[in-house]
Amino acid sequence: MRRFAALFAALAVLALAFPLLLRQVELRGDIADFLPTPKTEEAAFLLRELRSGAATTLLIAGIEGAAAPDLARISRAMAARVEASGLFALVANGAPRMEDGEAALLFAHRYALSPATTPEAFTEDSLRRSLEAVLDGLRSSAAPLVRRYGFADPTGAFLALVRGWTADAHVATEHGVWMAEGPRALLLAQSRAAGLDTGAQAAAAAAFRAAFAEASPPAGARLLLSGPGVFAAEAAAAVRADVKLVSMLSSVLVGAFLIWRYRSPLMLAVVAVPLSAGTLAALAVVDAVFGHVHGAALGFGMTMLGVVDDYPILLITGRASEETLREAARRIWPTLRLAVAAAVAGLTPMLASGFPGLAQLGLFAATGLIVAALATRYLLPALLPAEGLPVRPLPERLAHVLLRLPARRRAVIVLIAAVAAALAMAGGPRTERDLAALSPVPEAVRDLDEKLRHQVGAPDVRVALSVRAADAEGALRGAERAAEALAPLVAAGAIGGLDHPARYLPSAATQHARLAALPDAASLAARLEAVREGLPFRATAFAPFLEQVGQARSQPPLTPADLAAAPLLSARLTPLLRAEEGGWRAVLLPAEIHDMAALRATAAAVPGLLVVDIKAETEALLAEATGAALRWASVGGVLVLVLLGAGRGLAGGLRIAAALGGALLLTFAVLAALGERISVFHLTAALLLAGVGMDYALFLANTRATARPGKESAEEAARALGSVITCMVTTLLTFGLLALCRTPVLHATGLTVTVGVAAAFLLACALAPGRGAQG
Amino acid sequence: MKVGGRELPPNPPSFPVTKEGRGFGGGSPPLTFCRRILLALPLAAQGPDLLRELMAALAAVRESRATFTEEREIPELDRPLTSRGVLAWRAPDRMEKHTIEPVEERFLAEGDSLVLEHPARGSREVLALDAMPEIRPVVEAIRATLAGDLATLREHHEVAFSGSRARWRMVLTPRSVRVRAAVQRIILEGEGAAILVMETQMRDGRARMAISSTR
Repeated sequence: MRRFAALFAALAVLALAFPLLLRQVELRGDIADFLPTPKTEEAAFLLRELRSGAATTLLIAGIEGAAAPDLARISRAMAARVEASGLFALVANGAPRMEDGEAALLFAHRYALSPATTPEAFTEDSLRRSLEAVLDGLRSSAAPLVRRYGFADPTGAFLALVRGWTADAHVATEHGVWMAEGPRALLLAQSRAAGLDTGAQAAAAAAFRAAFAEASPPAGARLLLSGPGVFAAEAAAAVRADVKLVSMLSSVLVGAFLIWRYRSPLMLAVVAVPLSAGTLAALAVVDAVFGHVHGAALGFGMTMLGVVDDYPILLITGRASEETLREAARRIWPTLRLAVAAAVAGLTPMLASGFPGLAQLGLFAATGLIVAALATRYLLPALLPAEGLPVRPLPERLAHVLLRLPARRRAVIVLIAAVAAALAMAGGPRTERDLAALSPVPEAVRDLDEKLRHQVGAPDVRVALSVRAADAEGALRGAERAAEALAPLVAAGAIGGLDHPARYLPSAATQHARLAALPDAASLAARLEAVREGLPFRATAFAPFLEQVGQARSQPPLTPADLAAAPLLSARLTPLLRAEEGGWRAVLLPAEIHDMAALRATAAAVPGLLVVDIKAETEALLAEATGAALRWASVGGVLVLVLLGAGRGLAGGLRIAAALGGALLLTFAVLAALGERISVFHLTAALLLAGVGMDYALFLANTRATARPGKESAEEAARALGSVITCMVTTLLTFGLLALCRTPVLHATGLTVTVGVAAAFLLACALAPGRGAQG
Repeated sequence: MKVGGRELPPNPPSFPVTKEGRGFGGGSPPLTFCRRILLALPLAAQGPDLLRELMAALAAVRESRATFTEEREIPELDRPLTSRGVLAWRAPDRMEKHTIEPVEERFLAEGDSLVLEHPARGSREVLALDAMPEIRPVVEAIRATLAGDLATLREHHEVAFSGSRARWRMVLTPRSVRVRAAVQRIILEGEGAAILVMETQMRDGRARMAISSTR
């Protein structure tokens, strides 16, 4: 074992470097980094929503499995605890409580804010009805409320104002909290952290679970959690769990295979050296260049670095019996160098793509490949004894069959051509356009989300309308104009309702208009005096009303800047009205769209009103992202061809390119035949596939380049074949099991690599070697 | 909507005496022999004991119905507002005040829930007493008394008892400062196990409810 001390020491150093480096590196999870720079206003709006929209921070909780009073108690206890955690900007489990300060502010501005402020409300007939209603109220159990507000606000402007806010709530209140059928108590929360910050979202969900546990729920009570953030956190956890299981299984399988092939577990350590060196370097370089590493770049990058497992295998297995390891490394270096250079060339366009996520991925993979190759060339021979590791020979029959494949080259080419024609006739592989299908969130969880959303009346935003203006007043006026134009649609039932910022804070213009419609003090007093006739009110009873209407007429309007004292109003307004660079934006959200065509037609007639069909826009973005990735990949492909041509001559380069291209073609044909829709995950896996496929072809073709006469040539061909088979089996064992996972990203990666690697290997055997190898 | 950080207390059911009045609670309690003796005893000035005995007598009434007439005096009005209706009690914790005229309304406290129905407006609300610390004391003032539950009554109010077993008076002062801001005190008067009057004194104004049994 002493002979391997250097190897273990090197591994130990690499293993220690990992935690140290990870402490320095900032990992991020913003999916939007992988989406293209928006070209249209709709796309820009959507990206902003995806990044920071209020909808992404929503968390919905349901509690069920107990009697309604118990559920209500748990709901209240949870709301108090969750609110105290400070993780949430808003927690609601029933009709919200308005604090005295806010009530006073809104009461003072009730005539400006309330839709009930109309000239008709102040005619004698209306006033008479109002006074009678006050009298009825004083008799009822709501008397304290009526006494408190009725004499200052007999027309009910304030109550109409606060009721208007909750008019569209679908949830019934029972035992003081929101309660849906079941019974199921409902809570809503808005996290302070962004929806895409999976760590913070996991913490938010954990706060809810802890609060539930601490509310001492009776046996059988269940907590249901849903929301985009919870999804992200749950999905990450599900992927991690899948990956853990699969990687454990596959390490056992790969380990067993390598131990069989090299008669010793040492090969595992040998493979680990270039891989960890490459990963470390990739992490460090990406972090140094971008200031952070994207989680997805790391994940996909590691997938692509799966190629470098092959390098030490090619070195150890490819060593001729009379060579030292150092000599073998020197001999295969030109081929390895060409393989790496071509792979890096293929990745370069990603660096220039302009998507930060894709550029990171490219840089990560390129750095990892180069460093792993250098480690194989220079580090491994220094760490290992000169004779390397013993290699068990392959079964004779298998080698014989495979070595004879080049004789069937013509048939293989015909087969590829036929597959290409069939695929072209079938219209090519279908691409995945539905984002939901790519979501790692299980369907059952998505169904629950839909149900909870519906029960709680939270917007499931399919369409958003938006108006931009230079200032808040302009945006509010725009929203009012749009709401007025869309009002007939609500009345006709084409849309179920419309939420917009001016519902909560009307524009200053509207506020002025309402106040101007109030009667002057003298005429109001005269009307009131006439109306009081026959009713038991004393002459002074409505003095506060007269006085406050007078004050309201000369009051300045309420603006967004005045809302610090009105947290409830702000909480409703903020998602719908916000400042962005160079102006303000108002968002209008239609609910229950029954007639999209009518909505579009009406909205088109409102100048400046943007209609964003979230699903369609997301699909367009995704298609653009996929398209761009494909374009960059094809540029990369051309670069690879150029490099191969330079390294192997035109014919040799073409042969390798044919093996590689044929493998990709067969893979996508098989995927299409299996009914798979091609997603970005398949494409990333195809990049890995292209990398390993090129290695196979290059190393099998290498036989020709260094061909020596007779028996030696045959021996070398067999050795090269043995290395490549080992590489292929290792890759299959590593990625093959992923195909069995249900999480789309893992399934797509696993299936693509499995099918592709097998195809790449067979085609490399058949197409790559020069004719000299046949003999 | 709760406004001003506080649940606005629905008017406490308040109950006044009529001349014939056998009031709310003791409609026709099946008196045991022992209880008859107890009632016949001269009522010495042993307040706490008397209060306990009264509570025991009230607790023995499992179900009762009564009509009520309520008069509310409000400073802004030049005459009191009058309403009439039916009160119903069922042990252990169901109390309903059904106002029939001039405007129909149902106010039902049962267990932890409070149901408010206003048929003319077509509204029905189910509220949780637990969630409304400002209303609970007002409800318990009469409900805990009907239940003969002194512990609950004292949890929410200071209780001052005076008079005799045959004719008694209880002054309840809410312990909560927030409740006292709206309701200063509630006075209950009764004869034996029957409540005849409930008077609620509020910040300005008061409600007096006279109760007479229907049985």
